[in-house]
Amino acid sequence: MRWAVLAALAIGLLLLALYPLVATGYGIRFMLQLFMWVALAQSWNLISGLTGYVSFGHVAFFGTGAYAGAILVTTHGWHWGPASLAGGVAAVILALIIGYPCLRLKGPYFAIAMLGLNEVMRVLVSYFEGLTGGGSGLSLPTLHASGQIYYAMGAAALAVTGAAHLLITSRVGLRFMTIREDEIAAEAMGINTERYKLYAFLLSAFVPGVVGGFFARDQGYIEPISVFPLLTTITMIVMVLFGGKGTIWGPVLGAVTLFVFQELVWARFLYLHQIFFGAIIVFVVLLMPRGILGVLQERYRLPRTI
Amino acid sequence: MGVTITPTMVGQVVISGLLAGALYSMVALGLALIYGVMRVINIAHGTLLMLGAYTTFWWFRLLGINPYLSLLVALPLMFFVGMLLQRTLVARVVDAPELSSLLLTFGISIALVNVAQLTFTSDVRSVEFLTGAFLVGPFALSKSRLVAFAVAVAITAIAFWFLQKTKLGKAIRATSQSSEVAMVCGINVHRIHLYAFGIASALASAGGSLVAVMVAIQPEMGQVYTFKSFLVIVLGGAGNYPGALLGGMLLGLVEQLASLFLTTQLSEAVAYVLLVLVLLLRPTGLLGGRAT
Amino acid sequence: MFRKKHDRLTAGWVAVLAFVLGIETWVTPAAAQSPIKIGASLSLTGTYAALGQNQQRGYQLCAKQMNEKGGVLGRKIEFVLYDDQSQPATGVRLYEKLITSDKVDAIMGPYSSAITEAVANVNEKYKMPMVAPMASTTSIFKKGRKFAFMVQSPAEVYLEGLIDMAAKRGLKTVAIINEDTLFPKATVQGTVEIAKKKGLQVVFVEAYPKGNTDFSALMTKIRAANPDVLGAATYFDDAVAITRQMKELNVNPKMYGVTVGGDLPKFYELLGKNAEYVYGASQWEPELPYPGAKEFNESYKKEFPGADLSYHSAGGYGGCQALVEAIKRAGSLDGEKIREAVLKLDFNTVYGGFKVDQDGFQVSHKMVMFQWQEGKKVIVWPDELAAGKARFPAPPWNQR
Repeated sequence: MRWAVLAALAIGLLLLALYPLVATGYGIRFMLQLFMWVALAQSWNLISGLTGYVSFGHVAFFGTGAYAGAILVTTHGWHWGPASLAGGVAAVILALIIGYPCLRLKGPYFAIAMLGLNEVMRVLVSYFEGLTGGGSGLSLPTLHASGQIYYAMGAAALAVTGAAHLLITSRVGLRFMTIREDEIAAEAMGINTERYKLYAFLLSAFVPGVVGGFFARDQGYIEPISVFPLLTTITMIVMVLFGGKGTIWGPVLGAVTLFVFQELVWARFLYLHQIFFGAIIVFVVLLMPRGILGVLQERYRLPRTI
Repeated sequence: MGVTITPTMVGQVVISGLLAGALYSMVALGLALIYGVMRVINIAHGTLLMLGAYTTFWWFRLLGINPYLSLLVALPLMFFVGMLLQRTLVARVVDAPELSSLLLTFGISIALVNVAQLTFTSDVRSVEFLTGAFLVGPFALSKSRLVAFAVAVAITAIAFWFLQKTKLGKAIRATSQSSEVAMVCGINVHRIHLYAFGIASALASAGGSLVAVMVAIQPEMGQVYTFKSFLVIVLGGAGNYPGALLGGMLLGLVEQLASLFLTTQLSEAVAYVLLVLVLLLRPTGLLGGRAT
Repeated sequence: MFRKKHDRLTAGWVAVLAFVLGIETWVTPAAAQSPIKIGASLSLTGTYAALGQNQQRGYQLCAKQMNEKGGVLGRKIEFVLYDDQSQPATGVRLYEKLITSDKVDAIMGPYSSAITEAVANVNEKYKMPMVAPMASTTSIFKKGRKFAFMVQSPAEVYLEGLIDMAAKRGLKTVAIINEDTLFPKATVQGTVEIAKKKGLQVVFVEAYPKGNTDFSALMTKIRAANPDVLGAATYFDDAVAITRQMKELNVNPKMYGVTVGGDLPKFYELLGKNAEYVYGASQWEPELPYPGAKEFNESYKKEFPGADLSYHSAGGYGGCQALVEAIKRAGSLDGEKIREAVLKLDFNTVYGGFKVDQDGFQVSHKMVMFQWQEGKKVIVWPDELAAGKARFPAPPWNQR
């Protein structure tokens, strides 16, 4: 059984690795944005799915990484690869600065503080126009690298999913989840909750930052309103919930299902797709709060670490 | 390139801030009410405000009668819409983790906004009724904002009288202090939830009706007010009803003063920085959390 | 075989129709060929929905009328349209889809400078020409791209008319405010330059965020700066809000003009007589005497009763005309050949002059400045196109 799963995984990865050889430009663009969503959803899962701290402003890390990466590419002539990694580092630094105080907040207060963070970041990026171009946005030199960015995004999605696997099957992950279930009890058991919450937060900020850098390079043009939208955070959350939060494969499943669904619905119902999206959210929250995997776990007694 | 700031200018923006603040207070009181009794943060609050605004718009467009009279229709209408939402959807997530209610109400909000776009189109609309200003010395007092201020103060006062003096109001306050104890005392908590959501929707829609006469409206107008109401209730202490009043006034003033001394753009960030500071220094808000 | 009478009748009609179609095919064999597909994504929902829909109607009408005239290269034209939700990332993906998956033969631009800036990298990659009617930011066309072509006048000159008229009347000071996004910011930069050149002093400049509705503090500052002229680089919602709040805070410049939005009939509909005396920049007005403009106005009203007729529609139509003309002259759908043909074009569309330089930057199209006078837009600048005189100065709000 275990071998069969691993073999299927390996074949799947091989097929994805070979896909660009046969794909159209649209296929590549579609898949790389899909990878991006997997990486984002999975990152949100690390903080909110595991520790239960609901980040309502996770796109702030994505936007920060996008701007850091884009600035390094345009004004310092960096290659987009290292620039995006630096974007990830920038996101982690931001997470460190705000995580330390904000993680003391509980429940909806944390959610709202994170929402505020995103708004503040957007305004600051607009304001310091010497560095960021302000509202005019930042235009990167023309480069056609969709093929390479496809692999980079894929690697990011794979890495963060691997990290989720390691965490969920390890003691550290168990500590995260203890915090989610009962923070006071966790504290009583001798878990340094403050430190572990911060770890989870930093981990969950890194990949969105890196992916933001890739995104900026792939788009070739970013502006504050396009990399700090609330809707991106919400989409991450809905993907995770849809697939199953706190699981390894739930965010992947959720991201793939929703993104493919959106793309299919898009072309057909020009004005209705947003209504569908709203209806899906209501549906998931009311009827399957534990997501697809949660339902399957219950019905088929699947292991907790899936 | 800026201008030197004079006391007159400060006076002018303080007036603007207070006029806006009363409206924020009224709208945020609705959000505080829902949070108080159910611990639910209603992201669709601004969307309900938008529906109120459109009610007023169509009232004025189709009937041509004084738009403020539409309050008489919009308030009861939105009271029932709110109860309907609570009955069918929100009631199911009252005891769930906060993420459920945040997302559920966000889903409701997206769906309603887009239904509004389909039915009303995304065209910007406005109620051209009371424009211009009274000039008092060096100050200009916008007519529509003055009326909005007066109406908001009156409605807020009625709401407070209701919460303090009536039996139902007392039951609502009891529920927001502790729903278990309220239940033990024989209060039908589910019914209280229903009324609270209804009243909150009516308060939001009253805000919408007043806003519709002040500025042009469109289906996506609500989100801003949801955010502002968050700020207000966190500043004042979530679930604390007098706190919502203080928070609203404070937000109005801070926004305007920050726009004057810094820029309109930065004022948005200033409001949020203030929010985070209050959260960190006084996590229960300026007047303490939960209704007293 | 036919159970009912009307079934038989239907069958008869089908036979007749088939016969007629057969004859037509025989007469013009080209019509049987597959249509030329032109792709575009537009902002049909989201922030720019209203304007994007106007542009969409321009595209649709263009395709319809071109087809009535027999199409181009003997083939019909067909638009493949998507909604980018006013988001650049979606636009990029959709243009990629149009080019590589739907295999369109040519593309037209999206709405807004910001989205055009993002998608211009996509068509560049595939060497597919894109006529972009609604992008007026100079920088998009001045960074070495070969396949993006501009249709309208650049953002930088939107308020040239306002400043020029002010200078001629001997006004001294000007204040400028703008939405903090790509296109309005370019307008501000251009306007500051023009003002300096014409000897006006710029006394106040400030940006406000997209989606802002409260301008009280900003208006308070402008009232204190007391400029002769106020120029606002706007889209639409903000143009309406600023005008109303000027009245509410009693800001009385002698001239006040907006860039985008002031030209829409809705602007007057929403503001009523408060829109009087307001100047607006426009890329196009229905009464301008460009060839085909009159016919365009009439058929637009017939085709889309009740819909807004704004320069976005005419620009969409005119841009489409330019592309079709280029395809016709190139005699081919090859990207390089169409590009060569576009670069050689020098003609008038319903939208006005069309001629681009080697970078694809528009050099022939002219802006006009109008003023709202008794519910009508009267063109007051430039002199050679003016239909009336500017009412100057604007009286204080309480005397209007």
